[in-house]
Amino acid sequence: MSPEASDFLYPFIEREEKDAGSLLADLATSAEGKWEQSTRLRLDTLSALAGDITAAAAAMAGRFAAGGQLFAFGNGGSATDADAFARLCTRPPWGDPLPARSLAFDQAVLTAISNDVGFEIVFSRQLIAYARAGDIAIGFSTSGNSDNLMAAFAEARKRGMLTVGLAGYDGGRMGASDDVAHCLTVRSDSVHRIQEAQAAVAHALWDALQTQLRQEGAA
Amino acid sequence: MWCASPAWPFHSHHVAVEFVHPVIMGKRALPAVAVPADEDLVATLRTTARTGDIVVAVAAADDPAVAAAMRRGDAWGVETVWIGAGPRPPSGAAKHVLWLPTDDPLQASEQFVRMYHLLWELTHVCFEHQGLLTSDDCLDDVCITCSDEGRPAEVLTVDGDEALVRTAEGRERVDLSIIDTPRPGDLLLVHAGSAITNLDAA
Repeated sequence: MSPEASDFLYPFIEREEKDAGSLLADLATSAEGKWEQSTRLRLDTLSALAGDITAAAAAMAGRFAAGGQLFAFGNGGSATDADAFARLCTRPPWGDPLPARSLAFDQAVLTAISNDVGFEIVFSRQLIAYARAGDIAIGFSTSGNSDNLMAAFAEARKRGMLTVGLAGYDGGRMGASDDVAHCLTVRSDSVHRIQEAQAAVAHALWDALQTQLRQEGAA
Repeated sequence: MWCASPAWPFHSHHVAVEFVHPVIMGKRALPAVAVPADEDLVATLRTTARTGDIVVAVAAADDPAVAAAMRRGDAWGVETVWIGAGPRPPSGAAKHVLWLPTDDPLQASEQFVRMYHLLWELTHVCFEHQGLLTSDDCLDDVCITCSDEGRPAEVLTVDGDEALVRTAEGRERVDLSIIDTPRPGDLLLVHAGSAITNLDAA
């Protein structure tokens, strides 16, 4: 049988079934199941991480209030999550706009560093160029193990930045590293479900951050 | 497959990378590309999209570039999928309209990710179930889609009584003598080598 079988995604769908009507009905049922599973993981994750999200948001609010800016990074789909978070900061649907940039979208910089030195330093090198003590580094990974994220977190910590990580599975190296001050881990072993829950965590983090800033502004 | 999200470029890049370089080892790489948000979406697609391609957009109903691209789907011969939330686009705005019942921009953004992850998973399941890939389309010899009864076409350039147009078959020259001179970008109906209606005539 084909090594690319998706049976583990939708195990009960009969491979040899030729009747498109019943196959489509099976697919619709299983897609609804996935949607519900994602909704459940989102709620469980937000509830399990509520305290950690508030703590990370409070630390970030302190940095922003003191004039810090945020740098977001990640690989692949997580690069787009990093970009989404940076845009949410700079162009919020409500609340204060905040200084933030994604380190994953300048193809000239990304290819220059990767070609001349190596992909492992693609984010840390940019932090050396752009970041100051007092800034914030936020990295998105589903595995929690990416070499270039670990290098970036090490560099960020060395430079006095606040470090925040979003990870999956059991947190991986990010979860175990002292270089990641706040590691928010989505406990799942499906990359897709992890990314979906991470989107919710990122939004909750941003929302808590805005709340913190409002309270500090009012104080 | 062309992925567009002018207002939220990270979504278009996420959809594309999902299909090109799947997170699950061993899954085939599929040709998906994000159209950069600062590109003229219609100009890129009218020249580069091929018949049979798919255009997936993640956009609000009032996104003018996406509405313009979706509207040209039949003229380009592409399958259109419009994912969005909030107020719905008009009926028939795209071949497949996947609309989410939320007005909260953050909730919507989270659900878009879920939606295209599901589309990726279902696509790969379909590859492995041949029963889902058979189609009854166009077997009937009076199938209106395949006949020459009035095919949609988009005007590329106008040259006197003729226009170069983009249709599902590619580029064609059509006669303009029975309609008023159209402008580039107008959608026409073409029958037997002649433009018979300008759908965008004022």
